[in-house]
Amino acid sequence: MSDAIRHRLTPLEKSERRLGFAMLAPAFLLLAAVVLYPIAELIRNSFHFNHLAQPWMGTPFVGFENYVKALGDDRFHEAVLHTVLYILVTVPGAVVIGLGLALLANQPFRVKWPVRLGLLLPWALPLVFAGLIFRWFFEYNQGIANAMLRGLGLEPLNWLTSPGLAFFAICLAIIWKSSSFVALVLLAGLQTIPKSFYEAAEVDGATKWQQFREITLPMLRPAIFVALIFRTITAIQTFDIPYAMTNGGPGNSTETLAMYIHKTTVDFLDLGYGSALAVLMFIVSAVITSLYLRHTRRDPGRH
Amino acid sequence: MAGIEIAKVVKAYGSVPVIHGIDLSVRDGEFVVLVGPSGCGKSTLLRMIAGLESVTGGTIRIGDRVVNDLPPRDRDIAMVFQDYALYPHRTVAENVGFGLRMRGADAMTIEKKVKEAAEILQITHLLDRKPGQLSGGQRQRVAMGRAIVRDPKVFLFDEPLSNLDAQLRAEMRVEIKKLHQRFGTTIIYVTHDQVEAMTLADRIAILKAGHVEQFATPDEVYRRPRSTFVARFIGSPSMNIVPARIAPDATTITLDGDAAVPAPASFARARGRDVLLGLRAEHLGLAGPDGVPARTVIVEPLGSDTLALMQIGRVEMTGRFPPAAPLRAGGDVTLRLDLEQAHLFDPETGLAIV
Repeated sequence: MSDAIRHRLTPLEKSERRLGFAMLAPAFLLLAAVVLYPIAELIRNSFHFNHLAQPWMGTPFVGFENYVKALGDDRFHEAVLHTVLYILVTVPGAVVIGLGLALLANQPFRVKWPVRLGLLLPWALPLVFAGLIFRWFFEYNQGIANAMLRGLGLEPLNWLTSPGLAFFAICLAIIWKSSSFVALVLLAGLQTIPKSFYEAAEVDGATKWQQFREITLPMLRPAIFVALIFRTITAIQTFDIPYAMTNGGPGNSTETLAMYIHKTTVDFLDLGYGSALAVLMFIVSAVITSLYLRHTRRDPGRH
Repeated sequence: MAGIEIAKVVKAYGSVPVIHGIDLSVRDGEFVVLVGPSGCGKSTLLRMIAGLESVTGGTIRIGDRVVNDLPPRDRDIAMVFQDYALYPHRTVAENVGFGLRMRGADAMTIEKKVKEAAEILQITHLLDRKPGQLSGGQRQRVAMGRAIVRDPKVFLFDEPLSNLDAQLRAEMRVEIKKLHQRFGTTIIYVTHDQVEAMTLADRIAILKAGHVEQFATPDEVYRRPRSTFVARFIGSPSMNIVPARIAPDATTITLDGDAAVPAPASFARARGRDVLLGLRAEHLGLAGPDGVPARTVIVEPLGSDTLALMQIGRVEMTGRFPPAAPLRAGGDVTLRLDLEQAHLFDPETGLAIV
């Protein structure tokens, strides 16, 4: 009976439905113009030869040639490896530091705004600014890092011109920049934990460390997961900070996948190959995003 | 097991005092209820006993130890919280055994004790569930299980029944009383519900604005309230308290300018004074033609008896009548006021005149 009612739409429901579609249309068209069309164009390009420096070649269809080229491209492999390393270092790094910051910000400070502002500022700062600031920190002659080393009576280091140190410096900048976002997500999670949970544990004899292990961490699991996913998705696309600090140097030692794609298309003008690389990156992002969506479709509060 | 000695305890947040020197002496095994309107400091006092709030002044003693600076875990107490404080990511068994595990008990002991507690509270069949799958009453039982499993010297209850509906509340009240009879452990119980206070307590401490207004047995606070505050707070319906004047020869009492009623001999203690006359609903009755004339304003039949708001001259009083009493709103009746049972209060201080 109730099913029959649900399936047969009354004229009012039909007109409501039409109105609904009409209201959605502008947003959908805009999205189609700025997201769907470029993605379609990107995929189309990736199957064509399209090199702006060689206009006489035209843009012939080449099938999977661009993708095959990527498989044998050492610089592509290195860029992927660097990107993976950035993810492996900066995602857990940002979550650990962010958790620390969130726990700190959740303390009952008498004046809350300086703490909250301190948390928000790195997040509000444009990525390139963050990159530039850290480039100055690690600059050889005037940078604060070397000034501190000199102060300790140590030799200054070539932070941005030796591969290992440059990777370290960039990771530090990324963690600084992104941990505040993680901290905000986790702070929101912390504030949903009732105070009585800790008080009951206190009366029951749990130490602060036990309270953290037994209450804070398990209760924060959904928030930590969300933070991990968001951080991972943005880490796949790491571009601005290494671009501003080293521009991928020295050599290609700090170049990420996004930077290589940018160089291929904007510097080398190879749109076809760059598109194929971008599609590969898109696939990786999409897979991780779908994992995240599958997780959130389950009730994150229940484990 | 232990008694609790609270001496001159003061609590202030910054420069704002919320508890102004409370003295309470709780005997070993006694069930004491702290009751009062919101903001009277009853929960703060309980949390100070638990160690969740610092003590600004005075001393709190549990057994023979001053516990002022002892952390909660060293006070040998267990507390049941208003929201039950059950961990949603842990099963009922894990929640009940949490305190034992935190104190390093071995798995065998924990399992045995959790089982015992579960049997007492009839939650054995729930042990593998998560708190999210339980009803309010079941959660309440689990929270109590978590407290009794540790076999502490003192149980503290912070408004444990306020999230339950009326029927469950009555049920759990009985359960709590049974538990106390079974274990005989000292209990301090905070509530704003005077029915809970009356039914559960060995002694009730009625708090008002950070001090103890009266600390006595339920019978005592009901029959000999120390002030109008206690008189109004304890008992349902509230005690009728109306301005009155006792004649200089103490033979009559005049209710707010009008009806003069013969006064009992005991009113001589306030001869010639303006007073507040306190009379409970059950001490009003229907009388013959020689009674006090009154008009029925509102009739509230409760089944077992009938409450009626009566207008006597310029004052209003609620009376409790037999269910068959011939009352109707707007009707004129004559009343018998059982003034032998009445209370006299000073209109200035609100304190009982004895």
